[in-house]
Amino acid sequence: MLIHLHNISKIYKAGDVEVPALINLTMKVEHGEFVAIIGQSGSGKTTLLDILGCLSHPTSGEYWLDGENVHELPDAQITTIRNKKIGFIFQTFHLLPRKTALENVQLPLMYARVPHATQHDRASELLTMVGLTDRLYHYSNQLSGGQQQRVAIARALANRPALLLADEPTGNLDSKSGNDILNVFDQLHQQGQTIIMITHDPLIAKRAERCITLSDGKIVSNQMTHPSSKILV
Amino acid sequence: MILAIIHDAFKNLSANLLRSGLTMLGVIIGVASVIAMIAIVEGGQVWLVSSIERLGTNLLFVWKKRLTVEERRMFAGRNIKLKYEDALAIRQHFPNLTIAPKVGFDGQLKIGDRDFSGHISGTSPEYSEIRNFFPSAGRFVTTEDLRGWRRSVVLGKTVAEVLFGTESPIGKEVKIFGGVKKMKTKDITKVEKQEQEIVEEYRFVVIGVMEPKGEIYGQNRDEMIFIPVTTALRFFKGNDKIDSMVIHVPDRNSMEKVTQKLHQFLVQRHDGVDDIRIRNQGDFLGAVEQTLWTFRIVLGGIALVALLVGGIGIMNIMLVTVTERTREIGLRKAIGARRNDILLQFLIESTTISVIGGVLGIILGIVTAYGFGNLVAQAMPGGGDWGAVVEPTAILIAFTFAVGVGILFGLFPAMKAAKLDPAEALRYQ
Ligand SMILES: Nc1ncnc2c1ncn2[C@@H]1O[C@H](COP(=O)(O)OP(=O)(O)O)[C@@H](O)[C@H]1O
Ligand SMILES: [Mg+2]
Repeated sequence: MLIHLHNISKIYKAGDVEVPALINLTMKVEHGEFVAIIGQSGSGKTTLLDILGCLSHPTSGEYWLDGENVHELPDAQITTIRNKKIGFIFQTFHLLPRKTALENVQLPLMYARVPHATQHDRASELLTMVGLTDRLYHYSNQLSGGQQQRVAIARALANRPALLLADEPTGNLDSKSGNDILNVFDQLHQQGQTIIMITHDPLIAKRAERCITLSDGKIVSNQMTHPSSKILV
Repeated sequence: MILAIIHDAFKNLSANLLRSGLTMLGVIIGVASVIAMIAIVEGGQVWLVSSIERLGTNLLFVWKKRLTVEERRMFAGRNIKLKYEDALAIRQHFPNLTIAPKVGFDGQLKIGDRDFSGHISGTSPEYSEIRNFFPSAGRFVTTEDLRGWRRSVVLGKTVAEVLFGTESPIGKEVKIFGGVKKMKTKDITKVEKQEQEIVEEYRFVVIGVMEPKGEIYGQNRDEMIFIPVTTALRFFKGNDKIDSMVIHVPDRNSMEKVTQKLHQFLVQRHDGVDDIRIRNQGDFLGAVEQTLWTFRIVLGGIALVALLVGGIGIMNIMLVTVTERTREIGLRKAIGARRNDILLQFLIESTTISVIGGVLGIILGIVTAYGFGNLVAQAMPGGGDWGAVVEPTAILIAFTFAVGVGILFGLFPAMKAAKLDPAEALRYQ
């Protein structure tokens, strides 16, 4: 088992008001699974993914990743987990401006202390894989949204993470570009990559093997998707 | 691998030229203004001190003190006021001192249809030596001139040019009008005493022309006119009272002692009335020093404000970019940057900007200071040479402060952002 969340709660404090975003949530994900998380806006999807990606701490509960109780680890080790075990893809891409596609993909490798020559080779290999061979030296603002998101995927995969997390990766894209991204995910999944993807579109969720539905910080449904439904998209 | 982070930091700097440039500008303004201001003030000090020393060195100036009406009434009948005899007595009692008495009056020199109105000084041969001011043609007044009440006159360069043009004035005759002589004349009938004012007019022979000296400390030396002090007293004053004395003391260290002794000596001669004032050059320098301190404080204040403005400029840029930079830090942390990686990156970025800005500021400050020095030198006739004095201490202080501020303000937002959870930093508004 790759992921085991146990009784996870997250309560945001906005001034005096406490906003419970996740309430006693428990879930498991196996190696190689492709899981979609759906739910209405404000249901806690991003909060959940942040915790899975070690971008924030839960208020209570345990998060076991690859056999380690993550939030009991010291900061430095959590940083290493973010760098090596997790690849994160954001709805708004979050590429560094004024850097080329190649430089953006090299960043996680740099923080992993990979030698520079290796960084370059690995980054261009990844960009080739997402179909951007001829865009290596383009700056982020010279790329379309779909291209930027593909750079972000390449960056997320840089250190061969065990877990790929995507928060509405197609949310800011037209359907054609969105479909390209989903095709990349399919391809990665076939190669055995574990993927957890947030979406609020049930059709997109059907591209995953399993669909978890969140509502008000709780899991309200957790079921396998019908394989044949893929044809519909 | 730290090299990679350093490399990345430099790339960030060149990729964000506007941001880097604006931050640098703050440092440049701060450093340059402090260095320039201090250099200008120090240059001014050197200039003032040297121009005072050009008046002659180791000098004492003796004046009569202005007495109040009450004092005058009180001391009536006593032997007060500075007199030519006093100068002669000092000469006798203090043989190692060199003394030049001075008595002046306003007058007019005439030759043909040309004339020159100015201040005429009666003095002794020693004056030339003491004030380091010599004739370029002919001679200065001599002991013989004094002894014989000769009507000899030495002209300043401008005076000679006005009266004689390009001709040599030596040996020529000029008429001098001036000096209001108050004469108590007794009427022939001896019935009433009368006070009469007479404007004297005499023929003088030009014996010398002074070297060009320009304006020094508010006095144009090229417009001076010298005659023997005895002649001045006898023909134009009708009494024995002189205005002042300049005294050269051979040993600089004994200035104070000599001042005291002279004072005592003169008070004694004046029947115990203290109606004289003795100043030395040190007092002048002291006064100048004081002015300079005021100057220094004012300019220092301005420089400090400039430094502060520079600092605030740096802070502003940092605050404006803090949202972008916080998100950048969030992203970097999300993909695996350690806190130290982030801090190192920001430390390098802000240090580089600040140090480059600081060096540019030093250059700009020095150029400004020398430029100002040249400007002043050109504006001052007679060769004021206001060389800017660039103090290494000033450079060090300005550089350290501005660079310190730059680094601090560059690092501060980074330290704050690096403490946040990546999720929080990424979505920072
Ligand atoms: N930083 C925050 N501070 C306070 N409340 C927050 C914060 N982030 C999210 N929330 C609240 O938590 C709930 C879940 O948010 P989120 O996980 O972003 O939902 P989703 O991604 O499903 O739209 C929402 O009610 C949201 O308003
Ligand atoms: Mg969301």
